[in-house]
Amino acid sequence: MALESLMESIAADIADATKTLFETMILMDLKYDDAILVDDTQIRTDVIGMVSFTGRYHGVIALFCSKKFALKIASTMLMTELTEFTNEVKDAIGEVSNMIAGNVKTKLAAQHGDMHLSIPMVIAGEGLSVTAVNNHSAVADTTLSCFSKDPWLMTPFISNNEMFNIGLLLRESTK
Amino acid sequence: MPKVLIIDDSAVMRKMIQRIIQQSGFLIDEFVEAGDGKEGLEKAASSNIDLILCDWNMPNMTGIDFVKALRGSGLKSNIPVVMITTESSETRIEEAKNSGANGYLTKPFTPDQLKTKLGNYLLVK
Repeated sequence: MALESLMESIAADIADATKTLFETMILMDLKYDDAILVDDTQIRTDVIGMVSFTGRYHGVIALFCSKKFALKIASTMLMTELTEFTNEVKDAIGEVSNMIAGNVKTKLAAQHGDMHLSIPMVIAGEGLSVTAVNNHSAVADTTLSCFSKDPWLMTPFISNNEMFNIGLLLRESTK
Repeated sequence: MPKVLIIDDSAVMRKMIQRIIQQSGFLIDEFVEAGDGKEGLEKAASSNIDLILCDWNMPNMTGIDFVKALRGSGLKSNIPVVMITTESSETRIEEAKNSGANGYLTKPFTPDQLKTKLGNYLLVK
């Protein structure tokens, strides 16, 4: 399967997994649109929840959202109103990213062999951007890398009048 | 009344599971928490645990390695273990069963699905 087709297929799996997650555990309404390719210069966000994966294909699945939306998600999961951006909020975003990536992994592994997921990583700030310089991979740990020239395949979601995105970077692994 | 050990590297998930169990009306004496399989083994050995709920993917020691170590230890080897994980393939479910897990629930789950699963091990007030 061509990489572009596979990415579109994974984006559809991401949308399904996110919808199921919001219907079962987060209990917030959710709508989404078609995935589009987004250059890294277009990404501005407060919170990033990332899970990288390795196997026949490797890449990153990342949730991009505002602090306000991260607080809403964490408050719903903990069934309590959170107003401060604490480590619990980061933990909640990490777990949400992990559940989405985990469900996508199961579908991907059924077609392309066993895969390994990293432990989720959450980064929070204001107006964060994502890039890697000079077309070299920026290695954050042994499994996570961002490819500066590769656009993200980004699925836009809307819930409770808040927009958030889930992006995908994918490459075929060298044998 | 039973003591329940919840092993998950996400503190939010541990709290969420506790809240659902409490709201479901199960008779619980105490919740004990662990952030990975290694800490889970220590807590299982030092407390009188009646039921273990365990994630799969965790740092230091995974949930499946925890189950294998617990069942292989001889001590506490009869405590029921329910895996609660994003690993949802048939291969993983089979591996968990063969390693000694008694039940399996995939994330994400609804409160009702958790309640039904735990109804096999806990009594309602």
